[in-house]
Amino acid sequence: MNKPLSSNTGYINWRKKLILILIIGSLTTLGVGIICLNFGVVSINPKDIISLLLNGTQDKTKSLIIWQLRAPRIVLGALTGAALSTVGGAFQGILRNPLADPYILGVSAGAALGACIGIALQYVTGYMLASYLPVFAFIGAMLSLYLVYKSSKISYSANSTGLLLAGVAITFLFSALITVLLALSRRELHSMVFWLMGDLSTANWKKISIITLPVIIGSSMLFFSSLDLNALSLGEEEALHLGINTSKLRIRIFIIGSIVIATVVSFTGLIGFVGLIIPHIARLLVGPDHRIMIPIAAFLGGIFLILCDVLARILIAPTEIPIGAITAIVGAPLFIYLLRRKNK
Amino acid sequence: MNIFKKSNLIFISIFIILSLFLLKNIYEKKESMLQIQKQVDKHQVGTSNTTEYPLTVIDETGTAVTVSKEPQRLISTAPSNTEILFALGLGEKVVGITNYCNFPEESKNIEKIGEISPLNYEKIISLNPDLVLAYGGFQLKDIPRLRELGITAIVLEPLNLKDTFKSIKMIATACGIPDKGSLLVNNLTKKVDKIKSKVSSIPISSQPKIFIGGTSETIYTPGAGTLFNELISMAGGQNIAAGLSFWKKINPEFVAKAEPDIIIIPIGVMNQEEESKIKEIISKRAGWSNIPAIKNHKIFIVNEDLFYRAVPRLVDGLELLYKIFHE
Repeated sequence: MNKPLSSNTGYINWRKKLILILIIGSLTTLGVGIICLNFGVVSINPKDIISLLLNGTQDKTKSLIIWQLRAPRIVLGALTGAALSTVGGAFQGILRNPLADPYILGVSAGAALGACIGIALQYVTGYMLASYLPVFAFIGAMLSLYLVYKSSKISYSANSTGLLLAGVAITFLFSALITVLLALSRRELHSMVFWLMGDLSTANWKKISIITLPVIIGSSMLFFSSLDLNALSLGEEEALHLGINTSKLRIRIFIIGSIVIATVVSFTGLIGFVGLIIPHIARLLVGPDHRIMIPIAAFLGGIFLILCDVLARILIAPTEIPIGAITAIVGAPLFIYLLRRKNK
Repeated sequence: MNIFKKSNLIFISIFIILSLFLLKNIYEKKESMLQIQKQVDKHQVGTSNTTEYPLTVIDETGTAVTVSKEPQRLISTAPSNTEILFALGLGEKVVGITNYCNFPEESKNIEKIGEISPLNYEKIISLNPDLVLAYGGFQLKDIPRLRELGITAIVLEPLNLKDTFKSIKMIATACGIPDKGSLLVNNLTKKVDKIKSKVSSIPISSQPKIFIGGTSETIYTPGAGTLFNELISMAGGQNIAAGLSFWKKINPEFVAKAEPDIIIIPIGVMNQEEESKIKEIISKRAGWSNIPAIKNHKIFIVNEDLFYRAVPRLVDGLELLYKIFHE
């Protein structure tokens, strides 16, 4: 009699925990976001910001800076950080490899190649294509997704090594093609190099409205695979014994994750390190259960990227430091510290 | 592999839909561009001497930019634009420049807006500019955002002497001083023509062979399509890399085989001691001892800003090159 009861309470406890995480996570992200509205090159009185948030203001410049520059950056940072961390965590799960990150399966290289082709075409055709670069990047990402999917099927019937190797191979192939494009290019070279460095400065509400749904739906779908991921973390065979079709699970997560990353990366460029380290930090904090770890990673990733972006824009203002550098400089020591504390 | 499998079809349809979307948008843009071009042609902007606002200019990205009133607060997002503004006497109106703008001296005290890319939009907005003079190339991805924020931005991307003169005229027109622009361009053209007529009497066979080098181990040199190459041939020299296109990494053997008569090292401002050190490094490079320029000590160190930036000072660079080649 006792056993089903206790497992039942365990289930309720887990649900309660999740709801608690969602509430606390959303509130913390919102709080951090509002506090971060205060930071920027131009100093704006916190009182002004509060009155601006509550009832608008007559000062056009200030409201432009808050609503069209700082707020979209913060929201985009939160979404990007959440997407990268969730997908990173799920990829580490399906590949059973702690070094996996959202870019390891080739999407980033595809997006970068797509954007580079877009930039090159701009000079060949003479049309201003800058506003369509995200579309080019997305097409490139989908192409790499398709190629990785196909080649992993041919080689190892989609086991984790097959998928990983296919991803690495396609990444190398596409990076090589980018290098060739760079060697052939003339003045477009600079735009390509700058596109490859991730950056949140071009955030606007339109971009956010495009990426919000894919990120939220995709992350939820990854979250609903948590139990399967938990089983897979026991081992390939154990998961099979538990009745899980591991190759289907792998392909499903690979495709969902890649589409989420493709959408985000098409707009922000490549922001490194977040997707690799935040899932590990989440695991160190709350343990390896994907049902808890994935939502925690999403919120941590969002908050982490918001804070890194604030540092990127205020440390040596008006110059902005590339955000990828900040994520690594702040993230690596933090991670090593947590690792040490855990081992003690 | 069956191409009509479900997964294949899904991917193929995604590609097709996205590509059609792109094509449609690009086509629509082209159509609207053509219409604007017609309107501008009708009005003949830039040819009249009295400036009436609002006026429309078509910038280097093909965008029709409307300037609503005579701009009083200007921001330049590239060193070349800053130099042109000062050469036109608009320095007083410039309220923001980049970290890289180092000429002329008077620009030193103007507020900095930061890097060339990504642009710091917050800083730019806070300076409340009427007109931003941006640069194509590496600022391409920043420009749509700048315009979204309601900033009037004219994009320039001069890649040769002719384009530079066009940019000068475009800036002058947008700022309400088309006469000054034409005057500056006429003066510069006169200087260029003087050099051209002197060079035209020199037969190609007696023109010196020129190599543009650097101090680092890997050698990058400007080929056809660069400002530098244009200036060299205008000044009556034969660029040994003229057969290459744009900036290319070359093998030291290529230089040894080409046997240049003169080596030019463009570099930032340096003192005598550093200059002689650089000359020594170049002369001692392995395999180069037979190069005429090294045997005859014809190595010249010049200020790079005179040759890389599309600004009025290019003409000074041209005169300097002529002096080095023929005097």
